Amino acid sequence: MSTGYRQQPGSTGEATRTDGKRVAGKLRFQPPGSGGSKPVASPRDLDAIPESVGGREPQPAGHHVHDGLRTGTSVGRPTALVDANAKVTGQAWYGDDVRLANEVIGRILRSPHHYARIRSIDTSAAEAMPGVLAIATGEDAPDTFGVLPVTKDEHAMAVEKVRHVGDLVACVAAVDEATAMEAMNAIVVDYEVLNPEFDPRKGLEDVDEPIHWRGKYHVGKTNVQKRVHQAFGDRSAIDHAAATSRRAWRFEGVHHGFTEPHAVVAHWDANGRLQLYTPQQVPHYTHRALATVLKVPMHQINVIRTFVGGGFGGKSDPFPHEMCAAILARKCGRPVRITFDREEVYWINRGRHPSYIEVKLDADKDGRIAGLDVDALIDGGAFASFGHVTSYYNGVLATAPYELGSFHYTGARVWTNKPASGAMRGHGAVNTRCAVEVGLDDIAEQLSVDPISLRLANLLPPHSRTISGFRITSNGMREALRRVKEESGWDQKFRRMPLGKGIGIGCGFFISGSGLPIHWDPNRFPHATVHLQIDMDGGVTVHTGAADIGQGSTTAVAQVVSEVLGLPLEMIHVRSHESDTSPVDLGSYSSRVTFMNCNAAIRAAMEVREQLLDAAWDMLGYHPSTLVLVDRRIVYKHDPSISVSYLEALHKAQEDKGALIARGAYRSPPMGGVHKGAAAGLAPAYSFSAYVAEVDVDIETGLVKCTRVWAAHDCGKALNPLAVEGQIIGSCHMGLGQVLSERMVYGRTGHLQNANLLQYQIPSVHEMPHVTPIIVESSDPEGPFGAKEAGEGPLLPVLPAVCNAVYDAIGVRPSSLPLTPDVVWSDIQKRMKAEGVADPLDLTSPRLVHGPLQASLDERAAEHAGRDSARQRTDDTSPYVNGVLFGFDPERPLEEQAMGWASIDDPDPAKMAEMGYAGRAWLLKEQRHMGGDE
Amino acid sequence: MMLTPPFNLHHPTTVDEACALAARLLEEGRPFDWVAGGTDLLPNYKWHIETKPDVISLARIEGLDAIETDRIGCMVRLHDLAISEVAHPLIATAASKVASSLIRRSATLGGNLCLDTRCFWFNQSEDWRRSIDWCHKADCGSGAECRVIPNQNTLCVATYQGDLAPSLLVLNATVELIGPSGARTLPLRDFFQLDGITRNVLKPGEFLLMVHLPEDAAKRRGAYRKLRVRESWDFPEAGVAASWVPGDVSSLRLASTGLESIPGVHDALVADHGDWTLPEGRRELAEAVKGAVKPVNNTALPPRYRKAMVSVLAARAMGDLMEEV
Ligand SMILES: Cc1cc2nc3c(=O)[nH]c(=O)nc-3n(C[C@H](O)[C@H](O)[C@H](O)COP(=O)(O)OP(=O)(O)OC[C@H]3O[C@@H](n4cnc5c(N)ncnc54)[C@H](O)[C@@H]3O)c2cc1C
Ligand code: SF4
Repeated sequence: MSTGYRQQPGSTGEATRTDGKRVAGKLRFQPPGSGGSKPVASPRDLDAIPESVGGREPQPAGHHVHDGLRTGTSVGRPTALVDANAKVTGQAWYGDDVRLANEVIGRILRSPHHYARIRSIDTSAAEAMPGVLAIATGEDAPDTFGVLPVTKDEHAMAVEKVRHVGDLVACVAAVDEATAMEAMNAIVVDYEVLNPEFDPRKGLEDVDEPIHWRGKYHVGKTNVQKRVHQAFGDRSAIDHAAATSRRAWRFEGVHHGFTEPHAVVAHWDANGRLQLYTPQQVPHYTHRALATVLKVPMHQINVIRTFVGGGFGGKSDPFPHEMCAAILARKCGRPVRITFDREEVYWINRGRHPSYIEVKLDADKDGRIAGLDVDALIDGGAFASFGHVTSYYNGVLATAPYELGSFHYTGARVWTNKPASGAMRGHGAVNTRCAVEVGLDDIAEQLSVDPISLRLANLLPPHSRTISGFRITSNGMREALRRVKEESGWDQKFRRMPLGKGIGIGCGFFISGSGLPIHWDPNRFPHATVHLQIDMDGGVTVHTGAADIGQGSTTAVAQVVSEVLGLPLEMIHVRSHESDTSPVDLGSYSSRVTFMNCNAAIRAAMEVREQLLDAAWDMLGYHPSTLVLVDRRIVYKHDPSISVSYLEALHKAQEDKGALIARGAYRSPPMGGVHKGAAAGLAPAYSFSAYVAEVDVDIETGLVKCTRVWAAHDCGKALNPLAVEGQIIGSCHMGLGQVLSERMVYGRTGHLQNANLLQYQIPSVHEMPHVTPIIVESSDPEGPFGAKEAGEGPLLPVLPAVCNAVYDAIGVRPSSLPLTPDVVWSDIQKRMKAEGVADPLDLTSPRLVHGPLQASLDERAAEHAGRDSARQRTDDTSPYVNGVLFGFDPERPLEEQAMGWASIDDPDPAKMAEMGYAGRAWLLKEQRHMGGDE
Repeated sequence: MMLTPPFNLHHPTTVDEACALAARLLEEGRPFDWVAGGTDLLPNYKWHIETKPDVISLARIEGLDAIETDRIGCMVRLHDLAISEVAHPLIATAASKVASSLIRRSATLGGNLCLDTRCFWFNQSEDWRRSIDWCHKADCGSGAECRVIPNQNTLCVATYQGDLAPSLLVLNATVELIGPSGARTLPLRDFFQLDGITRNVLKPGEFLLMVHLPEDAAKRRGAYRKLRVRESWDFPEAGVAASWVPGDVSSLRLASTGLESIPGVHDALVADHGDWTLPEGRRELAEAVKGAVKPVNNTALPPRYRKAMVSVLAARAMGDLMEEV
């Protein structure tokens, strides 16, 4: 007899599949209303219950606070994303899928000049055209906005000046697109063209007309937007360096290259409230910016996040076109839709900063990293965006995973007349990381040691502190290195392969959620809040503001709720699209969602769980501490035949109050130092990763092909291993793009020459190597069920791993990205010239003969391995701070122990200028120190 | 969203009808374009580059998609060419390296030979081109100069990046053109014209009907080497084809693409150089081919590099010929 019922037309009969998968259109439920009327509970899957609470799931890192909540339902199981069906059947509604009755089309008139003053805008001809319904210009919205409250420098449309080709000048709403375009072309703008600047290095020079003006805080009359400086540690060790690597890098700008171009629909509803549909990673900031620019209270705006066709940081700013759509819709009284073409996507940009980065590494005779100096000049383009944060990240995220004798960072972000740079996957950490890891390879070579050994002998242990004061909790770095070394067959390949074939290592370190909510004090509001609601039907509705941008955050939230309540995933319904119903969440950036939002969701689920257990206590007479939740039943631990169904318990719990409602929130613990910029890079947990890449280099043409990647990432606990592997492989693809072929090409006239997907060369399937994802689980004590991020960190190691593999293959060490064939080829030519070789095929590839240091590094690494596993299991809870490797006592302040131990806020400009471009920015004075504001 | 400007699409079903239609439009002074697979023309139309009010499609004319050993119709899709067992293997190989599998399903042989020249100052949207104040090739009445080689207002040096031409050239193909004033046949090497704007000798109203191959083509072995960053989508940054009648050293022919406004024919160099079947001779000849091309800066990779690669590609193509013996 059939126990199923029709879920969808056409699906009848028994749901029989032998492979355990669900028949399409069939849910694994009994007839409606049951929710588990089986009289006996199915046994718990002990393989999915941690050892510490009586299961068989191994826990090398020991007990976790959430272990008692595990029901074996969802966590750790490879799970198809809950919105996958909507996507593969075309039902997912992305930005441009929104269609409202009576809507009209908006188009944006953009600047043809790099830099110009707007003398006048004449819209009269356009306005007179039939079919044109509204036109707006900068005058309609003079208020500034920006993603960071400290740097609000954007307008809905240009006010006074345009700052890059493609900057917004005016917008038009018309009955159709053709009319809108015609009208756009009929707007007459009178410009006074100004002198543009494209070279970030020239951003340090005084100019007549800086791109923005910061009043008394403006640095000279330059285009420096932000400069930062940090110094820690004992600089004296550098003087006796046994090896030094100093390289000046150039990184081209890259773009996220997401599939879905930006699109927005704005509609002022019958009650005069704004309904704004937009594919946003961070709907809440858009919400705030809209309120400011439109001058309406936030509660009169409902931001509806559509499905997001990829974000990667490129959809996390509040955008001017979102304002434009709202302004036009308000003017013409009809819904307005604006959809970008690909070129416009490049105009709004927010991709990774083009950067000049100089990294100097000094190692002492024991193979310890005595000094890491970083100088980063980053090209912000025309607006601030996330740049304030990026300026810090380029330095501070290099302070782990290695123990450092000293750290020195100078960074500067300058404005240029180019589309604005912003946050992109691996925000601020990627380029410096590449330079550092390549530098380490250089050091290893100079010391005649294996680069993996060098790394293993210099790692910070779990539960320690970086030189800059970041609190490291779980740390799977060592395990990640061990796994990739083993699985790649490193020892048989490194420095042993023929010319043109190479293998390389790279590591990564990234934040798992920014500790500081940008818009408020973390002590006043939580980072994330989740509401749960269960009515009579037993389905669980989860309200969250977390923005699923394809990374699977909705699935993760559903999974943790399902896990805690012992309910199948299909009974959890996540509602996260509308600001009207979802509690405030900071959004999808800084790899915070799984960590923070799932923690909030667990707390809400715990509250419900408690109510259910209390009800079961009433019904069974057994105390909650002796009850367990299994698949839709609550069972007496010691005699499984005593149980109630979930629905029975639920209805009991609802007797007096109706639907169960619970709330959970997450707030990060207080952390970090007090120095300037101490908050930048602070996170409640950090992810670690190590990749090995193998390449083939065509020695005659310089073409680099990456053939294999072994990618180990420590994500704490893989809530959904399928999603984690997806993130690792996807990160490899994105990172390979930056290392091999992607770049935003600004030509001789400063124009972006490749604002399209043919010439902006994202690797195709042919360029994709075989990736072996390796999940390392270090079980973070504060992560939800131990989880940390997996969305950004996995990108970092690909770049240096490939660069180091290229060196192994052809003996040429890159110092600029991407490694397009012409760049590699000219490096090969240089090497040939230097060695007097006529035919590249006669070059030799580097070889390694271990020096005396190798054995002592191996010994130290073995010793540290023991130390780390004791600390990971918290068998050893003694304090550990960066510096112990150099002989310092972690119990006493380091300043007391070392002469010259620095933790400087007040820099010496002359010293800083030694390093690189950004250091030189410190030779300049702010207006307030120059005798008054102009 | 990018909006293609509207145009009248005509669908003649015979060659005669097509010619008559062309003649009529010419008479009425209505500019038009031919379209075959549209994979080159339509992206340019989307960018509002030289759009015309009328477009004549060759797609419904019967009999233009036949592949025979001695002739190939202009409407043969590159996908069919790539998997053909009738077509010369060199042509099939070259076809298989064009664009992507999806594009090859639409792309045609005729369109590939008549491909518009390319330049990164030109293959851009209208807004983009406005921001550089246009360029000579599509100056929109501004009299703008060439952005690659300024101060000369006569020549466009946009690059011809068709993949098939060099292979057809080294097989000594001829092309049959037809138009209101009748048909004519000429060697493919005379088809191209050194000007990025006019591109070829097609007269107004004329189109490329058929490619013919001489009898000796079947005896020839060939090789084609293409330089590109990605193995999908990317146009040739340089390409060299070679063919010979195995055993006959003097029968070598060499041709290139992706380097100038027209494909290059380098047969004359062969006679001037020694025995290319020896590595040393091969290297010399390859260097000579490199010396014969003058790429400019208007494609993805810098001209200096592309030029240097010509000798590598030429040497490798010749090496491929040797391997096959
Ligand atoms: C992403 C992308 C990648 C590409 N990569 C490559 C590549 O790697 N190599 C390469 O060679 N090409 C490439 N192309 C270009 C193009 O796809 C091919 O060259 C294709 O063969 C053109 O054929 P078609 O039938 O589509 O031409 P169409 O677009 O129909 O026509 C191209 C031009 O030729 C004219 N024309 C067409 N047929 C005739 C005829 N019979 N007589 C006279 N004139 C005619 C048209 O008027 C038009 O000017 C690429 C295109 C795209 C969009
Ligand atoms: S080569 Fe010169 S004229 Fe021709 S398209 Fe390029 S810039 Fe324009």
